[in-house]
Amino acid sequence: MHCLETHDLHHRFATHDVLRGISMQVPAGSIYGFLGPNGAGKTTTLRLILGLLQKQQGEITIFGERFDRNRIAILRRIGSMIESPSLYDHLTAAENLRVLQLIHRCPERRIGEVLELVGLAHTGNKRAKQFSLGMRQRLAIGMALLHGPELIVLDEPTNGLDPEGIIEIRNLLWELNRRQGCTILVSSHLLSEIDRVATHVGVLGRGKLLFQGSIEELRRHRQEVRSVRISTSDNRAAVAALCDEGVNAQLEDDEIVIVPMSGERIAALNRRLVAQNVDVYEIRSVRNDLETIFLDLVRETA
Amino acid sequence: MTFVHAFQSEWLKRKRSFASVLILGGSLFTPAIVTMVRLTHYHGLPKVYAAAGFWPAMWRACWESMAVFFLPLCAILATSLITQIEFKSNAWKQVHTLPISAAVIFVSKLAVIVLMLIEFLLIFNAGIYLAGMIPHWLVPGVPRPHGEFWDLPLLRENALYFLAALPILAAQYLMALRSQNVLMPIGIGFLAWVGALALVSSRYAIWWPYSFTIIHYVKDKPKGAQFAAVTQLPWLALAFFLLLTIASYALFVTKPEKG
Repeated sequence: MHCLETHDLHHRFATHDVLRGISMQVPAGSIYGFLGPNGAGKTTTLRLILGLLQKQQGEITIFGERFDRNRIAILRRIGSMIESPSLYDHLTAAENLRVLQLIHRCPERRIGEVLELVGLAHTGNKRAKQFSLGMRQRLAIGMALLHGPELIVLDEPTNGLDPEGIIEIRNLLWELNRRQGCTILVSSHLLSEIDRVATHVGVLGRGKLLFQGSIEELRRHRQEVRSVRISTSDNRAAVAALCDEGVNAQLEDDEIVIVPMSGERIAALNRRLVAQNVDVYEIRSVRNDLETIFLDLVRETA
Repeated sequence: MTFVHAFQSEWLKRKRSFASVLILGGSLFTPAIVTMVRLTHYHGLPKVYAAAGFWPAMWRACWESMAVFFLPLCAILATSLITQIEFKSNAWKQVHTLPISAAVIFVSKLAVIVLMLIEFLLIFNAGIYLAGMIPHWLVPGVPRPHGEFWDLPLLRENALYFLAALPILAAQYLMALRSQNVLMPIGIGFLAWVGALALVSSRYAIWWPYSFTIIHYVKDKPKGAQFAAVTQLPWLALAFFLLLTIASYALFVTKPEKG
């Protein structure tokens, strides 16, 4: 069951195609990491999903209903934070929440609960303009989850935060997802963040969805061996010997890099090097890391 | 009910804002000055307070600066500042993702501004009353003012000034909803008010909405003789208000990028 689906979403600003056929599916109960470099179209996609931009082409379905036909009913079940926090600086944290509580008509006690949850219960009469960046970000997230939404859309929620703040936000997202069953769509250009927090991932590059699937699927890519690196006492002689064996070997950072191959073949090459009086110090497989997969995917569209 | 809650939410946003300070300061400024002048020049007060027509004279004295200066300028500033709270707080995108229609957003925000205008007039009226009574309470020998404050045509006059100020509110609302820069609506509003001052000696001023509060004040005086026959000013003001509000709403809902 998908909580959110887009089908063939296109968007154009003046003469520039920002989105080119985005079809994404966010499973209910997941933390969906929406990953892409700056300018890939993440924010534009999220703004279209929330109705902040007029849809030009494609379809958006949320909770099984067309967004453009059921906008208000759907928005009742969504909490969001797009780009930088939207806070009324002259109001306190509780008053900022009260502004939204009046609209959502949720119980007033939720204000205290949310302040507790995001760690701002102690702020009292302090106005939002006096808050640190981390506090502002946490308050904005608190505003997004005040009415207990089923879907939370967060655009770069860790932007500008220090490592401690990033960990706090990550823990908060986990807690919301696991304890309250919220589906979370979170965008980021930080690979490490998505890797740590998401259960599903969509990789966006130049307006196209390059990969979509569970984080396990992504990790399976990661297990694939990318290359084999060999370190020896005489790398030049070793490269010559390997080339004689028909292996494409190259020197890179004082190591020999060869393409992935079977264990038997590597053992045979090792025996050949030893027979040539070359001492083999190390043979290791280099596996794909998430960054490599991501960069490969993004480069494919370049 | 949705509108009531949206209105309450909008009303909360004005708390501690400069616009709400402006409403208080702008409405009490003239009565405060009048009070201070009377307290410092108190020797002639017993005669003034005993004279017939004390309250109508007081009313006219206070309204002169209010109709020409404070009411239009406070309407320009307060409307622009209240509307700009969303731009300043980067919050339009949040407002547009709330489960309320664009019509409710538009009307609730406008209703707050209209209510602030009513608040402005109420505080100003209270200020006039206090400016009249304080010297009597504080200065020995100053009698209670002749006549009653409540005998003034308060409801009628306030309603007419209220209507005369509505087109300014609507024009400022239109501009402030469109521009991210608060100086734009304030600057244009200020120029429009200067234009009203320049135009007010001409009979064409009745086609310039920023001059309506001034016209309403001068039309019974010798310097406003050209407006003596103007009876349709409230209707004209209402028509301008409705026209500008409809235009403003049309631009608001058709904006392709919200927030």
